[in-house]
Amino acid sequence: MSHLIILPVAIYLGAAFLIALLYKKDEKLSGAAAISFVFLSVITSIISGIDVFTNGKILYFAGGWERPLGIVLMLDPLSSIFLIMTNIIAFFVMLYSTVYMEKYTWAPYFYTIFMIMLAGMNGILISMDIFNIYVFFEVASIASFILVAFGLRAEELEASMKYTVMSFIASTMILFAIALIYGFTGTLNIPAFMSEASGLSPVHLWFIAGLFLSGFALKTALVPFHTWLPDAHSMAPAPISAILSGMFIKVVGLYVLIRITTNIFIVLPQIRILLLLFGVLSMVFGGLMAYGQKNIKRLYAYSTISQVGYCAVGLGIGGYLGSLGVLMHFIAHAFSKTLLFLNIGAIEYIKGTTEVEQLQGLNDSMPATTLFGSTGMLGIAGVPPMGNFWSKLIIIIAAVKAGYTGIAVLCIIVAIITLGYFLKLQRTVYYKKVENPVKKEAPKMLLFPMGALALLVFISGILLVPGIKEKTLDKAVSVMENFSYMDIKIGENR
Amino acid sequence: MNNKGMSEIVKGIARIVFPFILLYGLSLILYGHITPGGGFSGGVVLTGGFVLLLLAFGKDYVFRILPVDIAKALDSAGALGFLAIALLGFLCGSFFYNLLPKGYIFHLWSAGTIILSNIMIGLKIASGLFVAIAVLSMARLIHTKEGIKYKQSRKTEEDQ
Amino acid sequence: MIVYILVALMFFTGLYGIIAKKNIIKIIVGINIVGYASNLLFILLGYKWEGIAPILTEDIPINYFVEKAVDPLPQALVLTSIVIDLAFVAFLAALAIRLFERYGTFDMDKIRRLKG
Repeated sequence: MSHLIILPVAIYLGAAFLIALLYKKDEKLSGAAAISFVFLSVITSIISGIDVFTNGKILYFAGGWERPLGIVLMLDPLSSIFLIMTNIIAFFVMLYSTVYMEKYTWAPYFYTIFMIMLAGMNGILISMDIFNIYVFFEVASIASFILVAFGLRAEELEASMKYTVMSFIASTMILFAIALIYGFTGTLNIPAFMSEASGLSPVHLWFIAGLFLSGFALKTALVPFHTWLPDAHSMAPAPISAILSGMFIKVVGLYVLIRITTNIFIVLPQIRILLLLFGVLSMVFGGLMAYGQKNIKRLYAYSTISQVGYCAVGLGIGGYLGSLGVLMHFIAHAFSKTLLFLNIGAIEYIKGTTEVEQLQGLNDSMPATTLFGSTGMLGIAGVPPMGNFWSKLIIIIAAVKAGYTGIAVLCIIVAIITLGYFLKLQRTVYYKKVENPVKKEAPKMLLFPMGALALLVFISGILLVPGIKEKTLDKAVSVMENFSYMDIKIGENR
Repeated sequence: MNNKGMSEIVKGIARIVFPFILLYGLSLILYGHITPGGGFSGGVVLTGGFVLLLLAFGKDYVFRILPVDIAKALDSAGALGFLAIALLGFLCGSFFYNLLPKGYIFHLWSAGTIILSNIMIGLKIASGLFVAIAVLSMARLIHTKEGIKYKQSRKTEEDQ
Repeated sequence: MIVYILVALMFFTGLYGIIAKKNIIKIIVGINIVGYASNLLFILLGYKWEGIAPILTEDIPINYFVEKAVDPLPQALVLTSIVIDLAFVAFLAALAIRLFERYGTFDMDKIRRLKG
């Protein structure tokens, strides 16, 4: 059974090259193959997730080499939540892109690169070794640069150029930190480093932690490092924007930041204060910048910066409530931001533009798209039944309990700003009255993923119901609160 | 064909050197598990041989020896082969498990699946890098009266 | 110690190329230099002065080998990192060609349609 944890990576890599080899002429068949491979991966990730949530973590030794020598792969409740979310969102995005990518040429190559990106993302989640995380991180990143530039329009190329150069600086920082870790401790395994870390001098620790933090904060687009995100996420094709904004920056950035703050640098709790600072800055800055945007995709991109800021704030506060808030906010935001980007993609598919001025009164011409879009907007803005409301509430309560009252007030203000700009956008784009509208709805294959995601946005708060919460989120929170895998015996699989 | 590419001296030297470059690349790949080298470096050397031909003789000649479509297929096949070797390990209990007999140290057939992996990686790197350089080489800058223009030519026969 | 300072010098040379230069090709060269600097640092951390290659032949006593051989793991890791740098540079070169096609220039100051 433990082979299941390696399968998401193996399936995606195999799928990528099989599609490139067999179906490079046939767009329909390659799309169908891509969907079936992603579906297979969803099933494996859910089965292994159920195993992890009932029986605890799974360790896997690649090549049969045991822990001090070989590369250890691990699936614990925290990474299992991210793994299941990645695959589910990838499945919906893949369903959507079979229709959406018809207007692009070379669709089979799109699926190939998309699969390589998913393999990288899944690989980050199952790695327990810092260099392994770095390699999969680069695999996913390089695939994402190509996907951002996939349309080959001038703006997309420019955005991809900025994104690539910024990412290169981030990955150099990370590589330097890895080199220093290996030089100082002689190991790259996360539990082994944790036991060695207390022997390092604080200067060295701070230097390594600073390099790691700035590298991964750049990939998460926390505010001093955010400049690439609005360009890259607003210019990419809609399904790519959806997966980049909804899942990619959270796996590549947020997940690794969670591992770094709560697991790797456990001896250095002060780095949470830095994260808190970055989080507050990006929350406020992203919210304010989103207010004045004329292009809807750009507005959503700034909104992503602001919402990821909430996650960083929760991570900076820490404690049970802070960690729970991070996880819940990540799940709710992943669903709703994917929904919004897919939605604007469907509008672009029919109307051919994403500017606010040219899109007005869509309710009369595209009622279903309007319904799903406004669900997503209300979800991100944090209107009560949706998951985002509860997650923001948890983060605010955590801030008050930890004594950061000012930050709690800022969180509330930013939530109100978010509600403000989404309501403004909704009123002009969706519900403004226009004369003699032409009724033309998006194709059904674009509507189905949006509908399913809208439903998930609506019910994602169910994870916080007592009884379900103990079985799922609480186990992941306990990984973030007390990570104690140093007692793993050699030859043990659990 | 003769008036394309570089001068006759370069072509003559390239024709002589090319087999030796291929031979060196292959030996780097095949002896990767017992001496320095391996799939990646050997593959890069193999690509280097084809790039030499590309510089000396022009695109048409090289694409007749190794068409880009075949190189793309070899690229995917190399990756799939490497994945298959990794998945074979499931038979003996673990991903990437080295299930072949290890043989004697310092003999060509030693270290089990490592040599197969090296061959697959060499195939993948050589053909993948060749495709990348071939695609880059299809770009053309044309000097006109208004300034420099850009042209991408996928059909190589056209740009006489 | 002096080698580490030289590595730092190399790193900052590359960083200067990335940040201060406007030509895309020079930025790519800067990226190459930064990549080499980080790889060199990694190699140096596993190096032993007057060490031998980490290949265990039959005529080398095992104790001498353990004492003298350089650490092979950073070299294996750096090989991976070189591949990643290669991917970056190849992608950026392709991107530079495409950017030239669209904008007619390699100057980053003139490639500036996105703002806000």
